[in-house]
Amino acid sequence: MEQQKINFELQHRPSSTIAICHLPPGETLVSEGGALMALKGPVTVNTTTHQKKGGGVMAGLKRLLSGESFFMNQYQSQQNSQIWLCSALPGDMMIHHLTGQRLIVAGGAFVACDSDVVIDLEWQGMKSFLSGQNLFWIKAQGHGQLLLNSFGFIYPVQVEDEYIVDTGHIVAFEETLNFSISKASTSWIQSFISGEGFICRFKGRGIVWCQSHNPSEYGGLLTPYLRPKRK
Amino acid sequence: MQVVEQGTAAFQILKCDLMPNESIIVEPGAMASQDVGIVPDASVNGSFIQALMLRFLGGESFFINEYTNRSVKPQALYISQPVPGDIQMVEINNQEIFLEAGSFIARTQGVRTNLRWAGFASLIAGEGLFKLSFTGQGRVWFGCYGAVVEKEVVGDYIVDSGHLLLWPSTIQLELKLAGGLISSFLSKEGFVLRLKGHGKIRLQTRSVKGLAEWLNARFWR
Repeated sequence: MEQQKINFELQHRPSSTIAICHLPPGETLVSEGGALMALKGPVTVNTTTHQKKGGGVMAGLKRLLSGESFFMNQYQSQQNSQIWLCSALPGDMMIHHLTGQRLIVAGGAFVACDSDVVIDLEWQGMKSFLSGQNLFWIKAQGHGQLLLNSFGFIYPVQVEDEYIVDTGHIVAFEETLNFSISKASTSWIQSFISGEGFICRFKGRGIVWCQSHNPSEYGGLLTPYLRPKRK
Repeated sequence: MQVVEQGTAAFQILKCDLMPNESIIVEPGAMASQDVGIVPDASVNGSFIQALMLRFLGGESFFINEYTNRSVKPQALYISQPVPGDIQMVEINNQEIFLEAGSFIARTQGVRTNLRWAGFASLIAGEGLFKLSFTGQGRVWFGCYGAVVEKEVVGDYIVDSGHLLLWPSTIQLELKLAGGLISSFLSKEGFVLRLKGHGKIRLQTRSVKGLAEWLNARFWR
């Protein structure tokens, strides 16, 4: 018998998006810790540091470095159930269908996936220090569905040979693309006085998904008004 | 040059299609993503002294960033702002408009920025000694936190100081206490702006300071 798949339903797009995951009997939903909003049905939750297919405490520790949570939640049920997931910041979500190819996801953008997706930490090199993203990325592969979130809305860009994305605006990109960190302008001085500093230059053919807003910029604007802890 | 607002009201950004050799002046740091044929060129915002004043007195950037399409094909540039909210455009034709510091996003080449004296009362209200003015001919894009509300002012109107976004030079601002000396502070309204004159103003429905105050009250309890 063909195993039924999880049906992801997005509501209240694009500014206050939640995902209602319709879980068929026997399927497993793997989600980031802290994303749960509500459960409907007799769902059992397993909190582990890894996916079914291996990993361990190290996998959890590595995930921390990617800006994701240490623990992953695995939801299972013997009946049709619903799992409602949300994110911390206002913004959109997207469902991505993997059909064998790999997707590189920015740390913090991952919300959930079904059990046919294998997620692993991806080291993209020292350039990640300057990318405005987390040091590690999440590499997703397999033949399943993936749920991602963003701050603001998500727009896909089909890259033909080269494309520039500002640091902090990347949600995910296909593995057929390679990025390098470079200066925003023709010279380093120009780049820094232009306020852009570093940018991510994508090369190759494939899709990069960008988010309209940058969480660090939002935080940076707010910080001067926040009061330090009183001693 | 075609510039369209994209996204929904809560998260607007600008998609700017530049023909070869067309350019747009963008607030530093506002670029989200772009085609590789568009090249930024940073220069001092006006004269050196003017740029210094804009930076330290007007809350604007010392440098301006001009993005030009140096390729032979149409190229696109996405421009974003740090806060979730609306982006709007006004077209000016030799009249003068004022913008709240930090809300400027982009302008076309024919538009000039200046600083105008706002007065000591403005400083006390936390609005700064100077106000940012835009003159010339062209389009100005500005962003806000929340939604933009348009209001036609005829005669008198009162606005909370953190919510005024844009006003024309045909309107004078006057700072006053929200109520009596004690009630103004008890009601947490403090100072308000009394607007006098005729013209269309724009307000923002949220303020970053308001969010910070709300967060501050919840931290370190």
